[in-house]
Amino acid sequence: MRFQDAARDGRAVVYAGVQADPLVARAADLLADAGPAMRVMARAVMNGESTDRATWIGMFPTLFGSTSDAAMRDRAEALLDVALEVAERGEAVRSQFRGAIVEEVTARLLARRAPGAAIRRERRILFDGVRAEIHPYDVTVERDDASEAYDCKWGARGIGDDVLHQLDDARRHAQDEDTPLEVALVVFDARRSCDVRLGRSTAPVAGTRIVGLESLDDLGRR
Amino acid sequence: MDGSEATVGALVERALTAYASLAELGEEIDDEWSYIQDLTESWRERFEETRAARGSEELAAEIVTAIDLAIVEIGRIQDPHRAIDWLSTFPQVAITALGERP
Repeated sequence: MRFQDAARDGRAVVYAGVQADPLVARAADLLADAGPAMRVMARAVMNGESTDRATWIGMFPTLFGSTSDAAMRDRAEALLDVALEVAERGEAVRSQFRGAIVEEVTARLLARRAPGAAIRRERRILFDGVRAEIHPYDVTVERDDASEAYDCKWGARGIGDDVLHQLDDARRHAQDEDTPLEVALVVFDARRSCDVRLGRSTAPVAGTRIVGLESLDDLGRR
Repeated sequence: MDGSEATVGALVERALTAYASLAELGEEIDDEWSYIQDLTESWRERFEETRAARGSEELAAEIVTAIDLAIVEIGRIQDPHRAIDWLSTFPQVAITALGERP
């Protein structure tokens, strides 16, 4: 098993620009340290409806209400401002930003337990005698003894059989080479919604870890 | 607003009514019809858990306002694809406002 940079086609070049946008880094910084309620707020705001700040402040009393402390409120306000910046982008661009943000949060949480140099983005995984998948994995942790491959989705609706097959294929091919490879799908949505989506899938899921919104912090723990 | 409109039970009822309208909009996407049925059933069950446990509990005004704001927010949605996104997001917002984890 070996890893390789994805081909730099037109789509990849455009998307690399999104990934490099400072807004993605700011959002990921805040989300990596956020609690569950803040992450729900960010998801709601970045879904893209109202861009009225007061509306969102009123909608999250656990973050901005009479019982929230000043430190919590400051962090939540910072995240709200960043989420509104994403929401204010046009629909197509917003969608790209959301995807890039989930990937960046994933990478940052993984960096809590894995060396930074081992964490890579947009990588293909190649196996001897197996035709390579064209689509790269969003985030990989590349180590001799315990590599990992992650795909990331903004919402449960984005979970499709194609991505589940791709993750499971990689896991099985690695197993065939007696090489450990953990595969996971990170979804910035409630586990309940993910389970509903997975319940309708015919793709293999038993060997793929599903990381929902509630368990994002597990990415940084072993 | 009288006290009965500020209970968990009343808020859940209002949320479920709005949620049903949102689901109707999402159902315009034929390919997602089955997913929407399963998704809404699952989240309705989650709402009902809260109503069963805390139905008569009076809520602070800021929590009532929060859920009503969320209801207004989903009422503004006109795009069925976005409605489907919110079929997962709205329950998380409402249940978080009620002080629980989705």
